[in-house]
Amino acid sequence: MTDPGALNTYLPTLVRYVLVMIGIGVIMLVVYRVQLALGIKREAATGRTLVMPWLIGFIVFNVFTIGASLYLSFTDYNLFRAPEWVGLENYQELFDISFGTLESRDQRSSDVLARRHDEIIRVEIGDGGFVIGARSDSFWRSMRLTLLYAILSVPIGLAGALGVALLLNQKVKFLGLWRVLFYMPAILPTVAMLLLWRWMFSQNGIINSLTFPIWRLTSGEAPRWFTDPQLALPAFIIIGLWGVFGANSVILLAGLKGIPTDLYEAADIDGAGNWAKFRYVTIPMLSPALFYNLVTSMIAALQLFEVGAFIQTPESVGTFVNWLIYQEAFTLRNMGMASAMAWILLLIILALTALIFRSSSVWVFYQGAREERA
Amino acid sequence: MKSRFIILTIALLLSALSPVVAQDVPTITIATWAGVDEAAEFQEIIDEINANTTEYQIVHQPTPAEYYTVVQTQLAAPGTGADMYWMDQDNMALKADGVFMDLSECLANSEPGTAGDLSDYYPGILAVNEYEGGVYGLPWIAQPVVTFYNKALFDAAGLEYPSPDWTWDDFIEYATALTQDTDGDGEIDQWGYTATDWPPPYIWIWQAGGELISEDFSSAPVDSPEFLEGLEFWLNNAYNPEMSPSAEIIAEQGFSEMFRAGQIAMFMGGAADDLDRVEGLDVGVVRVPGHPETGSHTTFAWNASTVINASSPLAQENPQLLCDALVAITEGIHNWKIVSPRISQATVEHLVAAEPRKEASAEAILEAAQDMRALPVFGNFAEFGTIFWTEFANPLLNDETDLTPEELAAEIRPELEDTLP
Repeated sequence: MTDPGALNTYLPTLVRYVLVMIGIGVIMLVVYRVQLALGIKREAATGRTLVMPWLIGFIVFNVFTIGASLYLSFTDYNLFRAPEWVGLENYQELFDISFGTLESRDQRSSDVLARRHDEIIRVEIGDGGFVIGARSDSFWRSMRLTLLYAILSVPIGLAGALGVALLLNQKVKFLGLWRVLFYMPAILPTVAMLLLWRWMFSQNGIINSLTFPIWRLTSGEAPRWFTDPQLALPAFIIIGLWGVFGANSVILLAGLKGIPTDLYEAADIDGAGNWAKFRYVTIPMLSPALFYNLVTSMIAALQLFEVGAFIQTPESVGTFVNWLIYQEAFTLRNMGMASAMAWILLLIILALTALIFRSSSVWVFYQGAREERA
Repeated sequence: MKSRFIILTIALLLSALSPVVAQDVPTITIATWAGVDEAAEFQEIIDEINANTTEYQIVHQPTPAEYYTVVQTQLAAPGTGADMYWMDQDNMALKADGVFMDLSECLANSEPGTAGDLSDYYPGILAVNEYEGGVYGLPWIAQPVVTFYNKALFDAAGLEYPSPDWTWDDFIEYATALTQDTDGDGEIDQWGYTATDWPPPYIWIWQAGGELISEDFSSAPVDSPEFLEGLEFWLNNAYNPEMSPSAEIIAEQGFSEMFRAGQIAMFMGGAADDLDRVEGLDVGVVRVPGHPETGSHTTFAWNASTVINASSPLAQENPQLLCDALVAITEGIHNWKIVSPRISQATVEHLVAAEPRKEASAEAILEAAQDMRALPVFGNFAEFGTIFWTEFANPLLNDETDLTPEELAAEIRPELEDTLP
């Protein structure tokens, strides 16, 4: 029997959903009629009307929220009280960074850094060195971890994805089965995958068991992947490589399939070997797909969230910036500071993406563009 | 044709709404973090209340995943959330943001000896719910930290069991003596004690006479000698190879799991924990050790309350009805969860009736409850707590700072005080 309490709780929500849909339908009808009355052609009016719900959704849920987060980044806001304008205070706190010179290796970082600043980077050179510290040290430690992760994992992941795509492009038995198997990771729930990795990286996990001869000879003690500050980043990169077998490989495989065979035949006639064909035919022809994968993978790596939520790291390592932003917003209820962090991350992502785009003229080959120039 | 279709659609929607509109008895919703088992037990309490009233019907909305994110987003959008929520002590800080209903007026005429009688609550626990003269939640649990000890390991070491008047010195003596290499392979495989950042340092700080925050919330005297004495005791016990396993071993083998596996002799946990009924273990319970000079056995109490959403339509229309339902729910929980935060219910009989499996440890738990204290929660407590843990306590505990506790305390104090109201 239906629970009347649950019905009373959820029915109004369902009714609201239906009413909103009907409301949008009515507005679309009115807009369509108005356009026709204004003399706009039927086809154009239909197109504009059909795109309108999406446009409204984009303005309300994207443009407005992006604008609101920019505004909130200049405020002190805890969700429940009205935002209080603080100008650049949040950004000033985030960029409150100090630099200190070490006169000896034994000197404490705290002795050479500004008050209330904690070490982010300490470099010892000879008998001295230098230290960089910040007031928002957890943000910069997390930024360091996130950037290093993105810079290291993305190229390795792309190379792996390319290797997998090349393998899947061979004429081997059960090719369909292999392709399904290699795509499987992309459809697995991220949380389940992360819990599995956490178990595999535990001290008695499968990874330490497999690498037993190596660590037994070197340190004598099984690595503690997520609690050792030196090993946390390599562990995350290994986890990140999981994505090699997924959408990236499929895109590159599609790119490989799209390379005209006559190019390889021409290369054969010219006496090119396998490496030469790969270097001078496959890579240039695949470069648009590689470029697309590079951009999307870099953005995805910088926006990593789930790993931070499910795998705890030592304070000195930091966490992934998106997870830190979430904590700042929903644990500390510092929506203003969280918004400022989000905007700094956005600017860094934009800068890196722009850099990749700028570099594309050097290494990405667009056949159509060449033909146009010719 | 089109207009007929529209009229028909509206008529259908209105008929769908009719059960809601026609209903005479208001529905009161309560959101909790309860998981499957806890929710099933709680539902029994709600069913009983619903069966005995014609004034309202309560509907439970368990939200075990990301509970506080859901609660905050609902509270931030007035009128969209449940009528009541469970809140733990840390999140009672929201009392300062005007999102909870002030209960002082609607509870003013409560019957003495009921859950609505505010004078029956432990004052320190009730204080978590108070703000500027108002009361914003009814506590339903106050769980003091107690010591669970493995009797077999004490027997094997020829040691007497800890007595209620034991001190820090006794504790260290026991913990050191019980840390042993039992199989003779040269490696320690049994420890006297285990600690991470749990149990919290406040226990020892309060016992030594220190305070995290002054009573009037004007200062955070973390650099006082009393505070530092308690903090040092906490720092010296955790990960100390002479008495407790390292952070890595704990991370690997599990914190309380090591006690369950018989590898740890003493564990400090919440009174409601099931460590005293682990199959195959004979476990005793005693209050936490006391300060050797002050004689204080003050302990920390984790506590939680139920609050009323101030923006709920019912809170505007009929606050007394919500209050009555809150009292009924809280009364039910006081007979279900241990330890009840009410002074009149601090009896062995009541505790055992609520949780018969705690019969053997009931006296020790109630003894601990007499000395329990709650955290001094204020509006900005989340930020205070984060600074305290991430920039002070954890760096000291994990050797991630080159400063001494005294130096770091002096440095962190202004930062902590910046967050005070």
